[in-house]
Amino acid sequence: MIIEISKLIKTYAGRTVVNIEKLVINEGETVGVVGNNGAGKTTLFRMLLDLIRPDSGEILSKGTNVAENDEWKKYTASFLDEGFLIDYLTPEEYFLFIGSLHQMSTPDVIGHLERYKEFFNGEILDSGKYIRDFSKGNQNKIGIASALMQNPELLVLDEPFANLDPTTQIRLKAYIKSLKSAQLTTLISSHDLNHVTDVCDRIILFEKGIMIKDLYTTENTLNELEAYFSK
Amino acid sequence: MLLTFLSHQWTGFWRSKSKTGTIATQLIMGFLILYLVIVSIMVGYNMQGIIEQVLPGKDIMIVFNGVILYYYAMEFLIRMQIQELPTLAIVPYLHLNIRKQTLVNFLNLSALFSPFNILPVFIFFPFIIMNVRPDYGLFACLMYLATILSLTVFSNYATLYFKRLSTGNMKIIMAGAAFLLVIAGLEYFKIFSISVISNMVFQTISKYPPVAFIFILLATAMFMINSRYLKNNLYTEELKSGTGKKSSTDYPFLDRFGEVGTLVALEIKLILRNKRPRATVSKGLIFLFYGFLFYKQNVLENNEFGKILFAALFMTGNMILLYGQFMFGWQGAEFDGLLANKTDIRTFFRAKLLMLTLSSTLLTLITSLYGFISWKLLLLHSAAYLYNIGIGAVIVLYFATRNYKYIDLKKGSSFNWQGVGASSMLMAVPILLLPYLIYFPVSLLSNPYWGLAAIGIIGTMGLLTRNYWLTTLVNAFNKRKYKIAAGFREQS
Repeated sequence: MIIEISKLIKTYAGRTVVNIEKLVINEGETVGVVGNNGAGKTTLFRMLLDLIRPDSGEILSKGTNVAENDEWKKYTASFLDEGFLIDYLTPEEYFLFIGSLHQMSTPDVIGHLERYKEFFNGEILDSGKYIRDFSKGNQNKIGIASALMQNPELLVLDEPFANLDPTTQIRLKAYIKSLKSAQLTTLISSHDLNHVTDVCDRIILFEKGIMIKDLYTTENTLNELEAYFSK
Repeated sequence: MLLTFLSHQWTGFWRSKSKTGTIATQLIMGFLILYLVIVSIMVGYNMQGIIEQVLPGKDIMIVFNGVILYYYAMEFLIRMQIQELPTLAIVPYLHLNIRKQTLVNFLNLSALFSPFNILPVFIFFPFIIMNVRPDYGLFACLMYLATILSLTVFSNYATLYFKRLSTGNMKIIMAGAAFLLVIAGLEYFKIFSISVISNMVFQTISKYPPVAFIFILLATAMFMINSRYLKNNLYTEELKSGTGKKSSTDYPFLDRFGEVGTLVALEIKLILRNKRPRATVSKGLIFLFYGFLFYKQNVLENNEFGKILFAALFMTGNMILLYGQFMFGWQGAEFDGLLANKTDIRTFFRAKLLMLTLSSTLLTLITSLYGFISWKLLLLHSAAYLYNIGIGAVIVLYFATRNYKYIDLKKGSSFNWQGVGASSMLMAVPILLLPYLIYFPVSLLSNPYWGLAAIGIIGTMGLLTRNYWLTTLVNAFNKRKYKIAAGFREQS
């Protein structure tokens, strides 16, 4: 197992946002996290990335507490929102910077970006714009590509399909599927039930911070989720 | 890694979005800093001559030694107001493969890039090298220099530490303000003196130089405390303002003013809940100390109110000037909404006047404590108060109808030139000049008390004819309202 969460609680202004008794995620799993607004998906991701301090409980990544040790940063790549980007850099500058953190040379980075050519749809590179001047969808692409580029063992994406045009959504889905391997664990949150059931082999459903369902994807999963959300 | 961070800061600065508008202000800032540096070098180099001229006959070393801690005390106050916390800069790096310690190091390093940290070197070093070395020897001189550097480092990190502790924590801010007020009072009434302590400290160092190691230790300790705190609290939501439960508030006191009161309540919330207006208003509170600087016994004995009129006007009306100069830009983000709402413009202006009046009343009540120094100050403050609410507030609002500049409420207020334009600069001139035009002729013809009375009377007349001025303001506003709203829509 790569992630082990136990007795994790976070409250804001007296309201419990995340309350997880026990959650274990194994290596190689692609996990989809679903739930309505306020379910605590993003808060959970932020705690996983040590961006928010839990009120109690702990998150172990490869056996060490993420809040106590930086070791997890070496194999974890993530993109939650535009705040993760350095918005006054051009995309190229940003990719090179991220690459340099993982000891990638400039040719390495350029070679890597070659793979995302289709994904970028010719809008990202050589655009002569700063990241802040891109549309939200394109900023999303930059963030996702920079996360993928890091060759992580743990990939965390918060609503990666939001703001993307349909073509890119389909390409991203295919790409994430193609990445599946025993070495890569992926955590994805999404409001799009079709997409998550398509991409993920395990779905966890949250409501008001509590895990309601934890299923391994079958043909029935989509129906089951739709039934849950439409009641 | 640290170099990469710094180069990012550098590119970020040059590519800043509001750059086109700020190139001029950057230049002004640059000149300002250059000017400060040159002045400091001149002062530092000619310290001996200056001391001999200002305080002839006194021992130069004693004066110099007495000044040092005083300088740092004042500097600390200014730092608390102006120095920004370089926290938000790290948000895009938190999730990346960068160790926490590196981020903390970066925050610590970037905090050193402040003009505050270089000025003491220019001011104190030349004198120490020229005077301490020949009199007390090389070792004492070096320890003097080390003490100056240590104090600077200490002050730098202490500011950041206390600012971080106090963000969003009203209790700490209040306690700090009360503490400073007590110290200032004790200093004014000569019960306690920073300069005596300073002199004692540095005389000890000149005689027993190793004592200075205490300061080096103190600076190191402060640095460590700050780093430790940062490392343990490197969560943006904790370094930013509090995440406590936000509750709906109302101000029952304002209910009696009906719709006008509702609008005032809205604006009070705007001030309390947003960074820039809050900083602007709390900066105004610092000016309450003006009295200690300006109200000298001999001035009061000779009834030279002209010399202190400015201080009184500013203390009783600084909200009107500081907050009012960016009116209505504060509400720029929701201005269209305000215009489309079911409030008429007259009510809108009455609310503004009421708010400015309330602020001035509050400030006047606080500053009436200066009455303990002399009862004459109460007269002075009353005259200034009446003028501020009767005339000053109207002038501010009139200029506000010519201000089309949006204000970003989330930014800090120090060295923030957003919204500063010709109209906000010009505005201060008539407001602060007019009382002098009233005071001087009258006090020359009869006596200074009549001069004050004249200011008060003019202010009262302004109050009594407020309806007329309201109509004028509303007309002025209606003429330009589309331009104002369009200006705010551009946002920066």
